[in-house]
Amino acid sequence: MANNYLSISDILVSNEKVPCRFLHDLPKLGFLDPSCTEEDLKAGTSVEIPLWLAESLSSRRPPLVAVDLPKVYKETYREIFNADACTVDLHKLAQYFFELGCYVAKYDIKGEVATTLVNTFRQRFKMILSASVSTDSINALQPLSSSERDRTASAMASEKALSTWLKRGDSLLTTANMVANHRKRKRAEMEML
Amino acid sequence: MFGEKVIELLKESERNRETLDQYNDEKIRQIIEEMHVLFKLNMNDANATTENKSLWTTVQVRHSALERNKRCLLAYLYNRMNKIKILRWEFGSVLPPDIRELLSDAEYDWFSKYSTNLATYMRSLGQDIGYNGIDLTENLRPPKSLNIEVLCLVDYGKLELEDGDVIMLKKNSTHFLPTSECQTLIRQGILKQIT
Repeated sequence: MANNYLSISDILVSNEKVPCRFLHDLPKLGFLDPSCTEEDLKAGTSVEIPLWLAESLSSRRPPLVAVDLPKVYKETYREIFNADACTVDLHKLAQYFFELGCYVAKYDIKGEVATTLVNTFRQRFKMILSASVSTDSINALQPLSSSERDRTASAMASEKALSTWLKRGDSLLTTANMVANHRKRKRAEMEML
Repeated sequence: MFGEKVIELLKESERNRETLDQYNDEKIRQIIEEMHVLFKLNMNDANATTENKSLWTTVQVRHSALERNKRCLLAYLYNRMNKIKILRWEFGSVLPPDIRELLSDAEYDWFSKYSTNLATYMRSLGQDIGYNGIDLTENLRPPKSLNIEVLCLVDYGKLELEDGDVIMLKKNSTHFLPTSECQTLIRQGILKQIT
């Protein structure tokens, strides 16, 4: 799923900006750097470019850019995550903290980013798991990153599926999912008019 | 910056994961235009690299942008295709007009072909044991009783039952019907089971 060519969530992750330093002159591409007034981009300029561009340019031979770590993965933030990951507002700080982390971890030579990612995931997963079995405490959580929200939703769905199954399938026939959603949306549009 | 329009397109469809959106003709045309421009610029600069060696870097950047746009467009179409597949299973072979107009012409063609394929497959099932076809979109749960009580949610009109009786399905009327006859209507949100 994560590295799937056609996955929309992976595309959105690779749209996140990472700081990069250009190693060669780029004629006619001055617009990549908002503060640059010339037509050409000079070697040595530091610019924030989307991850997809950075990945493809740094994998060329010879590489065109040197990728730097985004600030949430730097020393200062890593200390915060290692202290207590559950108190951090990942929704505001980094929507795609884990996914982006997996991409940029390879640019960190010491490998500390990878350890931080695993630790953070472990701490926060425990918190999400215990919160999603009891539906009322879910809103008391710190805002979650987007993949964590998906994970919470599927935890709740499977919790519900389990309790239906325990009733031995003795449940009502229901409207198909997409039919119901389309109808809800239509009603909302009608009310707006 | 490159590839921003295409991201807007994808964000739109990511927001509505459960429903299908209007096919965004206009934006796709703009994106393809952007790709044509990039391609032309690249062609010119690639031909000029023989005199000016430093241009190769620019060509590479634009080439990455082209590949990115291609990936995003393919992902957009692929995800819509998966949703259209679900439409066939949940709405049945005939789409309501308001859903039909969300699809582009090519997508509707695909829907019809998928629908025909599925129907052919379902007809072919069970022939060796004497059935002529099984409707796989029915009986998703084992039925618990022969008849169930249902509430009608919309003004549907007449419904002819297998035994020849004709009943009138009006909004807010309740009926006691054979499970096998009404499960498709329940899936389509016309009836609702009440206990």
